[in-house]
Amino acid sequence: MSQEARAIGTAGILAEMSDGETSAAVSGDAAESALAFLAEMSLDLRGAAILDSAGSVLAASGDAARWGEDAAALFEVADRAGDEPVEQVHVGTEQGEVFALRHAGLAAVAVTERFALASLTFFDMRSLLRDLAAGGDGRGRDDA
Amino acid sequence: MTPKPHRVLLDRVSGYADEAAAYMRRRRAFRRPFARLYYRGGRAEDHAADSVAGGELFVAAGRLIEVAGKRPKA
Repeated sequence: MSQEARAIGTAGILAEMSDGETSAAVSGDAAESALAFLAEMSLDLRGAAILDSAGSVLAASGDAARWGEDAAALFEVADRAGDEPVEQVHVGTEQGEVFALRHAGLAAVAVTERFALASLTFFDMRSLLRDLAAGGDGRGRDDA
Repeated sequence: MTPKPHRVLLDRVSGYADEAAAYMRRRRAFRRPFARLYYRGGRAEDHAADSVAGGELFVAAGRLIEVAGKRPKA
């Protein structure tokens, strides 16, 4: 799926990376591994996606094209709501919760059950992106 | 009579656990939908569901919830 996911581009949607760091090329395999690790850590997780700075989906649980489009739409709406690019988005609804985060030139979007702990979810997502940007597989191991 | 030290500790831990449980019950009962944006430096902004930005955020989030589907069963 990672090859398919990588091929899907949503050009320019995440151009406004708030931390200004540019990530080295992150492999789809590393992103897939990171996503699997996030699912292991977050029991409330329903699905998630990891995107690069150009908005291309590196890994997604399910329909990568839909994840790419919908994540782009969320960031676009969020950026328009304020006077500067947003760093984190948290939307809680009756149907579930949405977390979106830009970090280290990458972006992650996750959907969880209601009442997931926001601070922990954002912490896990941030750790994962930091590790991916540093060339790891999102698990924070040195041997990755 | 002075209670044994471990009793004091147990009572205190039980008290904290009860308070935490009550807090979670209240949170489930009263929490309403919200849209919150965070910016660099820790600044946060809430957007009401009946505002333009809030409405758009809920629509965009709803699409993501739809694509994520239900939680896979263990």
